[in-house]
Amino acid sequence: MATPSDKPPGSEEFALPPDVRRRRLWQYFRPYLKWFLAGSVFLVLTNLATLSIPQYLGDAVQLLRETVGAPGDFDTSAVRSEVITASIIIIALAIGAAVARIFSRITIFNAGRYIEFDVRNALYDHLAKLSPAFYGATPTGDLTSRTTNDVTYVRLLYALPFLHIVNTLVAYSIALTRMVGVDWRLTLACILPYPFLLFGLRRVMYALFTQTKVVQAKLSDLSTHIQENLSGIDVVKSYVLEQRECEHYGEENETYFQENLKLAKIRALMNALIILIASTGTLVVLIVGSRFVIDGSMNLGEFVEFNGYIVALVPPTIALGWVFAIYHRGIAAFDRVSELLEHEPQLQDPDDPGSLPEPSGQHVGEIVFDDVSFSYDGDDAALKDVSLTIPAGSTAAIVGKTGSGKSTLVRLIARMYDPDEGEIRIDGVPVDRIPLRDLRCEIGFVPQEPFLFSMTVGQNMRFGLDSLAYDSTLDKALPDEPLLGDESFEGALTQRDRIQEAIDIAALRGDIDGFREGLETLVGERGVTLSGGQKQRVTIARALLVNPRILILDDALASVDTHTERRILHQLDTIMQGRTSIMLTHRFNALTEVDKIFVLDDGRIVEQGTHGELIEQNGVYAQMYQRQKLREQYDQ
Amino acid sequence: MSDTDSTTESDASNGSTDRKDKGGAAIGSGFQERKLGKFADTALVRRLWKYMRPYRWLFVVCLLLLPAVSAVSLVQPWMLQIAIDDYLIPGEFDGLWFIMVVYAGTVVGHAFLTYWQQYLMKYAGNLALRDLRQDIFDHVQQLASSFFKKTPVGRLMTRMTTDTENLEEALSSGLVTMAGDLLTVFAIVVILMVVNWQLALASFIVVPFLIGFTAVLRYFLRKAYRTVRTKIARLYAHLQESITGMDVIQLFVREKVSRDEYSDINAEYRDANIRAIRWDAILYAVIEAAGSITIGAILWYGSGQALEGIVTLGVLVAFIEYMQKFFKPIRNLAEKYNLLQNAMASSERIFELLDTDEIIESPADPEPLPQRPYRIEFRDVHFSYTDDETVLDGLNFEIEPCERVALVGHTGAGKSTVINLLTRLYDIDDGQILINGRDIRNFDIHQLRSQFAVVLQDVFLFRGTILENLTLGDDSVPFDRVREAAEMVYADELINSLPGGYEFELAERGSNLSSGEKQLLAFARALILDPEVLVLDEATANVDTDTEALIQKAIERLLAHQTSLVVAHRLSTIQSADRILVLDDGQLVEQGSHDELMELGGHYARLVQLQYATTASTGGEDGFIEPLDHDD
Ligand SMILES: Nc1ncnc2c1ncn2[C@@H]1O[C@H](COP(=O)(O)OP(=O)(O)OP(=O)(O)O)[C@@H](O)[C@H]1O
Ligand SMILES: Nc1ncnc2c1ncn2[C@@H]1O[C@H](COP(=O)(O)OP(=O)(O)O)[C@@H](O)[C@H]1O
Ligand SMILES: [Mg+2]
Ligand SMILES: [Mg+2]
Repeated sequence: MATPSDKPPGSEEFALPPDVRRRRLWQYFRPYLKWFLAGSVFLVLTNLATLSIPQYLGDAVQLLRETVGAPGDFDTSAVRSEVITASIIIIALAIGAAVARIFSRITIFNAGRYIEFDVRNALYDHLAKLSPAFYGATPTGDLTSRTTNDVTYVRLLYALPFLHIVNTLVAYSIALTRMVGVDWRLTLACILPYPFLLFGLRRVMYALFTQTKVVQAKLSDLSTHIQENLSGIDVVKSYVLEQRECEHYGEENETYFQENLKLAKIRALMNALIILIASTGTLVVLIVGSRFVIDGSMNLGEFVEFNGYIVALVPPTIALGWVFAIYHRGIAAFDRVSELLEHEPQLQDPDDPGSLPEPSGQHVGEIVFDDVSFSYDGDDAALKDVSLTIPAGSTAAIVGKTGSGKSTLVRLIARMYDPDEGEIRIDGVPVDRIPLRDLRCEIGFVPQEPFLFSMTVGQNMRFGLDSLAYDSTLDKALPDEPLLGDESFEGALTQRDRIQEAIDIAALRGDIDGFREGLETLVGERGVTLSGGQKQRVTIARALLVNPRILILDDALASVDTHTERRILHQLDTIMQGRTSIMLTHRFNALTEVDKIFVLDDGRIVEQGTHGELIEQNGVYAQMYQRQKLREQYDQ
Repeated sequence: MSDTDSTTESDASNGSTDRKDKGGAAIGSGFQERKLGKFADTALVRRLWKYMRPYRWLFVVCLLLLPAVSAVSLVQPWMLQIAIDDYLIPGEFDGLWFIMVVYAGTVVGHAFLTYWQQYLMKYAGNLALRDLRQDIFDHVQQLASSFFKKTPVGRLMTRMTTDTENLEEALSSGLVTMAGDLLTVFAIVVILMVVNWQLALASFIVVPFLIGFTAVLRYFLRKAYRTVRTKIARLYAHLQESITGMDVIQLFVREKVSRDEYSDINAEYRDANIRAIRWDAILYAVIEAAGSITIGAILWYGSGQALEGIVTLGVLVAFIEYMQKFFKPIRNLAEKYNLLQNAMASSERIFELLDTDEIIESPADPEPLPQRPYRIEFRDVHFSYTDDETVLDGLNFEIEPCERVALVGHTGAGKSTVINLLTRLYDIDDGQILINGRDIRNFDIHQLRSQFAVVLQDVFLFRGTILENLTLGDDSVPFDRVREAAEMVYADELINSLPGGYEFELAERGSNLSSGEKQLLAFARALILDPEVLVLDEATANVDTDTEALIQKAIERLLAHQTSLVVAHRLSTIQSADRILVLDDGQLVEQGSHDELMELGGHYARLVQLQYATTASTGGEDGFIEPLDHDD
């Protein structure tokens, strides 16, 4: 059915197959079936109680009428006590109905909330499985809109319609039985036009459904715009784009408004139609029934009674129109939500998982690329026939021009993408045979663009530690050895001490001390309240703390001044011992110590070797190096 | 009934899972929701009315259509009565068709009027909502940078989308039908008082109780809805941040932990709703019951009077009928009430956002910008983002016209801050920033900013084509100019190699390019503006050094007559500047040309030595010299 593609949702017309929709709807409904059943029982009780009140009232009034109107002295006190009994019963029924009503609403609406809760969690779970390719192709605003507004509509889809449909059913069955009891021919005549009318209604409902989808998609567009505008607000301000942004938003706002109007028209039309439908019954009674009365096959009392039932059915029928609207909005939203849920994660865990060999001896983390080719979009290859070996425990560097594929290469190691061709092995195991999460546990990744969450600095640093500490599904134990692998160290280190150590290694001590709240300092979303270099160093600390087998530094010191860079590199040198580390950098002065340097050009490895070897080869690297050196020294 | 209670929702509320006890924190937990409940209901309605006012006639028409709709439907029983009395009872068939036609006419009329009533109501409501939506967006555009740094996008989005949507029902049908219902109630009260005021008063005995009860429940309901709105903002902030940072979550295998956090907030949100449901159910049921109980009471009390002949039976029956009619709109009101409480909780949050005045003000009558070229001066500038950490502490420097100045300093020294202040993304606390001797706060802020082309440290590209990004949506920029700029930063070749060339579609934030490529585009974007002052904040940090050098050459050549301020760490970029400013501890510690500073042998010289030393020690066993401490 759904193929693992990374087409963004909404990029093409998505139609959820009806059976899948039904199955999914049921899947969320099922666990709360009992609640809904209990709710319906309470509803029926409520209806029974309220519907029997008129009877007692009518009887009492009738009794009064007979008594008051009748000549002679009746025993008024007996009548009075009878009437009082009736009023007590009415009051009791009212209270009973109220209690049952409270319970019915609570059970049914709560069930709706629980379903919403489940759907939200399921969505989050699913989103957490989707790959970077998916997120690259899908606007965040659209995702947010689906996971927020649409889920709300899905909740309404369950609870409210259910309540009303049960109510309507009860009303209909009571009325219909009584109607048949009065005159079955007339009942039949009343029912006759319904199929035709309902058929007409279907078309309107279809229009309602499609238009609802359009409106929801437009709402998504609005969210997307807002989300993008807010995340780029500094650029908007610096380039004085506020005016333009407001105008663009104005246009989208206007479209949304217009589509909403179309929806309003359809809805109003539907409600008008339903009123027609509901009143048709009364018209039929008038037309057909009056004949029956005149030709004597029905008496007037029956006619009036029958009409009473038909009229009583009008309000619940009209309410159905409202229910239809909510239902269709819910279904449209449900489709949009399901579109995400049906989107199969591109990166799957292996069926026959292998596992990384236990760290034996000193060195683990050998990385082998075997003829790997990869392209992001299918045609333009970002990596071409890359073969390389990074021995366990060694330090490698990857250099190359902008866009040559360095970041792409390391992303493949962390299996953020799967290669199109070739194989990547870590300690002899192909990465796609290792359970994804186990693999990533062993990788400390410092991305090129630092991303921090709006938590405190300390919480950001222990971001990965939290997974190891609280996620019982992960095998890896919380590391407790010191970061600077001190051979003589015995016992365990607390995480607090390790964090302190990481702060020193990432040369963050001065910065943290400078913050009045220290590690408790809040950083803004994406870390916006930190300087670029501070952000980068926090991400370094974050990666170091999980004690990874493989450490990947993607241009991780680009925003750090030379001075600090040197301090960090010096420390990292120690850290990198015993684990494989890969550095991507544009500054060659850090590379003299590295075990192996790979030079990438346009997705191919063009040279490899140690700094010395490459200089000797006098190839691309040597020339780049010389130029850089020259530029830096030309004033010396 | 003004609402003065206030709920402060601390987001770091203490749950009970061990994860929280152990100090783990949820994504996006770093922000406190502000106080709510400073608005009275009347104030909220008044402010909503501001948006309804331009369309008030539409709302009035809707209001008038309401009784019209009921009137049409009321003709039906009347027609029925005529049919019975005049035709069915006498057994007369002729002429009955006329009644039938009229009846059918009312049915159609009812449907027709309903259509217009409902459509117009939505129309009016959505008009108001559209204006409100636009107002919020326009307002948010004016807010200062600092506001966005402390408000997560998800939270703002909740206010701008979900909370606004929440008002739709209230605006488009809620208020009007409520007004209609209130009118009906009022009419019935008048009728009953006229018919028999004693019995009427007796029947209304429950009303004060009902009002009191509603007032009490209103308190709980509103409180519940406030919690709901806070929780939902919290929930969406978490979600939004999780989505944007999903790759980090996945790389650090934090999916399950983050999901548990999310699930906890989700549960809190659910439970807050469940509390609201409880109060709502009670309110609704009690009002439903009140009608029947009143009827029982009338029967009880009235039957005695009827039997004693104090009131006629007809009056009693009529009263019972009327009371049933009386409670129908009240029931509707109760149903709408819930909706309204929810909407009020939302509008509180919306108006709170609209009231945020964290705005960098443009002067009321701005001075025209001075004659070019510009001489920029920082005079004893003090600045801190938060009250306690001083970032700039008496910074002094000048930039002469057409000078190329480099700003260096260790990370966190305040280089980017200088740039933020220059373009007035933030305002300084003390001192002055002057352009040709005039304080920048005297100029129109937009005009001021358009004198600078800033390449920010965090590159942000918009979704859309490369061309749109380079021209910033300004169609009047000639393509040659775009290409020229792209060539200057050596991005032209890159762009042409992409499918579609300049029409290549960038993903959000330009995430389908490499970091260096993005920086090149951002650079080109700035050059196209041909600004008076070019400001580069580590604009080529992720670009390879060869390309960087080429770019620099090109810029030197082409921008000889422009002032530029460059922040960079690579020596090669800095060296060629006319003047180098060394920033430390929020102050200027050295300045001069490369040579002068080398001679001085201070901070800068040490920096250069360090870089030189590393570069020189090729392949040495211990190439690293012991790093110096910068904070001396
Ligand atoms: N998410 C993506 N989707 C599509 N294309 C991408 C994506 N990321 C990178 N590319 C493209 O793949 C190529 C290699 O990109 P990569 O990020 O690996 O370069 P890089 O060597 O890391 O460059 P830099 O030095 O600028 O960081 C580039 O042409 C880039 O445009
Ligand atoms: N928006 C902000 N809110 C609070 N603090 C900030 C903000 N931006 C930067 N800072 C702090 O101000 C100091 C200087 O930052 P910045 O000017 O970005 O440094 P750099 O010299 O590296 O560009 C740093 O300590 C940083 O944490
Ligand atoms: Mg890269
Ligand atoms: Mg900076």
